[in-house]
Amino acid sequence: MNAVALVKQVPDRNSVFRPAGPWIDESSLGYGINDYDRYAVEAALELREAGAVKQAVVVTAGPDEASQAIRTCLAMGMDRGIHLVCPRASLADPFRVAKALAGVVRAQDAGIVLAGLLAEDSGHGQVGGLVAGLLDMSWASAVTAVRFRDGKLEVERELESSRVAVVELELPAVVAVQTGANTPRYASLRGIMASRRKPVERIEPPELANPDSCDARIRSLRLAKPERAASAEILEGAPDDVAAALIPRIRSGAGIVLGGGAS
Amino acid sequence: MNRRVLVLAEPEGDGVTEVSHELLAAAFRLAGDGGPVSAVLPTPDASASMAAAETLGGAEVLLVEGPAHDGRTGEETAAAVRAAVEVTAADLVLLPHTATGWDAAPLLAARLETAVLTGVSSLQWSEDGLTAERQAFQGKFVHEVGTKRLPAVATVERGAFPARPAGSAAQVRTLASPLSLERRRSRLLEIRDAASEGVDLAASDVVVSAGRGMGGPEHLHLVEELASALGGAVGASRAVTDAGWLPHDRQIGSSGVTVAPKLYVACGISGAIQHLVGMRGSRFVVAVNKDPDAPIFGAADVGVVADVKDILPALTRALTGADG
Ligand SMILES: Cc1cc2nc3c(=O)[nH]c(=O)nc-3n(C[C@H](O)[C@H](O)[C@H](O)COP(=O)(O)OP(=O)(O)OC[C@H]3O[C@@H](n4cnc5c(N)ncnc54)[C@H](O)[C@@H]3O)c2cc1C
Ligand SMILES: Nc1ncnc2c1ncn2[C@@H]1O[C@H](COP(=O)(O)O)[C@@H](O)[C@H]1O
Repeated sequence: MNAVALVKQVPDRNSVFRPAGPWIDESSLGYGINDYDRYAVEAALELREAGAVKQAVVVTAGPDEASQAIRTCLAMGMDRGIHLVCPRASLADPFRVAKALAGVVRAQDAGIVLAGLLAEDSGHGQVGGLVAGLLDMSWASAVTAVRFRDGKLEVERELESSRVAVVELELPAVVAVQTGANTPRYASLRGIMASRRKPVERIEPPELANPDSCDARIRSLRLAKPERAASAEILEGAPDDVAAALIPRIRSGAGIVLGGGAS
Repeated sequence: MNRRVLVLAEPEGDGVTEVSHELLAAAFRLAGDGGPVSAVLPTPDASASMAAAETLGGAEVLLVEGPAHDGRTGEETAAAVRAAVEVTAADLVLLPHTATGWDAAPLLAARLETAVLTGVSSLQWSEDGLTAERQAFQGKFVHEVGTKRLPAVATVERGAFPARPAGSAAQVRTLASPLSLERRRSRLLEIRDAASEGVDLAASDVVVSAGRGMGGPEHLHLVEELASALGGAVGASRAVTDAGWLPHDRQIGSSGVTVAPKLYVACGISGAIQHLVGMRGSRFVVAVNKDPDAPIFGAADVGVVADVKDILPALTRALTGADG
């Protein structure tokens, strides 16, 4: 029985994003691993290290450059990778992505599939759950802890109002991991060296070949900066001047007494 | 054209959750001309849920009853809603964008061979389907999406629609759940409160919060010094508490503490919706962020577009008169 982590390569969050029609202009962006997926990978590695699963496998769907995301996961310690090669634009529809991912997961003897809760770019928060539904696996989202117990999986789920649900899942199961679930490791130099010898299988899934397929369930129509109802007054300039301008605004806006040199 | 809309009603106490009434409001708007609106309420005991059903004003209520509906896992909710979709022939199913919706919506969608429009704040019928507005890039952009596939499934952001007042249901029916205890593959064991020490954040008049933009734990003294100059407490975004720069009880937002101080200062926080819901009640908000497009500025009274490492010490100096 193996653990499979689903990892998406997303634009670096510190990039300058420019909307271009239905999506952003992706021509000159740097990419990295989706933050949530680092926690999914760490959870898979911890399960393997505890002997609960045999192999930890990473799967990604994305263009050629996404192989870098797989390499990073292998350097972190994942055993092997599967790359579903497709145009980046084909990733716009979560259903087709989930279908392609489910197709390869099915053949991995997966006892547990770990997705991230959410992709930082598109933010659909559903690919893991769709994979679970398509494969008829049990499922929980917003997971902050996983442990095997008596041949089942016991997970903790984050609810609103600082409450936690403890849920028992029959195997095989898919979980969507929330940030903070663990402390993701960084790739060591040795890990990077070792990753070069680890196998990566390349597959070109037909369902992701054509980004404009009429089979898409969700279409991206427009991406735009939000209109802001109450626009903030923006202050710019030398720090000391900005600070001096801020103090009277805080005093009258917040109605608080400020001490020291503020008077 | 009348469309059939189905919403999930989540039992809570003697009634249903507030967001259930919000979903109903959205449903009546989308059904048009008072078109048929149904609500599905999963329950282990239909007779005990009658009172809750009777608050779902104007809706045809389906109580999906079965012993497997004791925990509200995604599997349980999805099974109940699926049964109701069949009975009502709904064109659109609305669930809350909460822990319940995150869990249930994708499972339901997979069964219906479609995807979910998640976290939507508005919905419209189009010539050939449905369009919706949601957020992408953690609130940086509004993302308009569309689907032609009916029935469609959407999870609706809390607060996006004003709740429909409680009133008597149009009709209440009971349906036997298709999910049996034997077939069920997930089971709620317990719900507990996450241990929280609760530094007195909620009671502070001033909260100064650190975000990932502070750059690392070694710079957090800048936030602490400003908080102390303002006589306030230190809060944080989730990125900061997840990274262990500050303890979890400092986290402000949907999965942390809700605060409503007289003054809230956000330092290097982008302003994701899950953070905003925790501080939106503040009287006066100052945001410092080097990105002029950061969504936090949409929730601020005064925004400073600058590096926190420059502004925070300058403000602390000005407040304490340290430089005379
Ligand atoms: C179910 C769920 C629940 C969640 N609950 C919460 C919650 O309770 N609370 C919460 O906060 N989040 C929560 N989140 C996470 C939330 O979506 C965001 O990921 C998080 O709030 C981001 O934290 P941040 O703003 O500090 O980091 P980022 O989004 O990375 O933002 C950092 C900001 O700092 C700015 N910056 C960078 N360097 C500098 C500098 N030198 N000077 C000035 N500015 C700089 C950047 O421009 C950027 O805007 C939740 C998410 C989910 C899915
Ligand atoms: N292209 C992809 N390749 C591999 N995994 C993905 C891909 N897209 C989404 N996922 C997984 O699904 C999770 C949720 O993504 P989303 O539903 O798009 O927000 C991510 O955190 C990943 O674990």
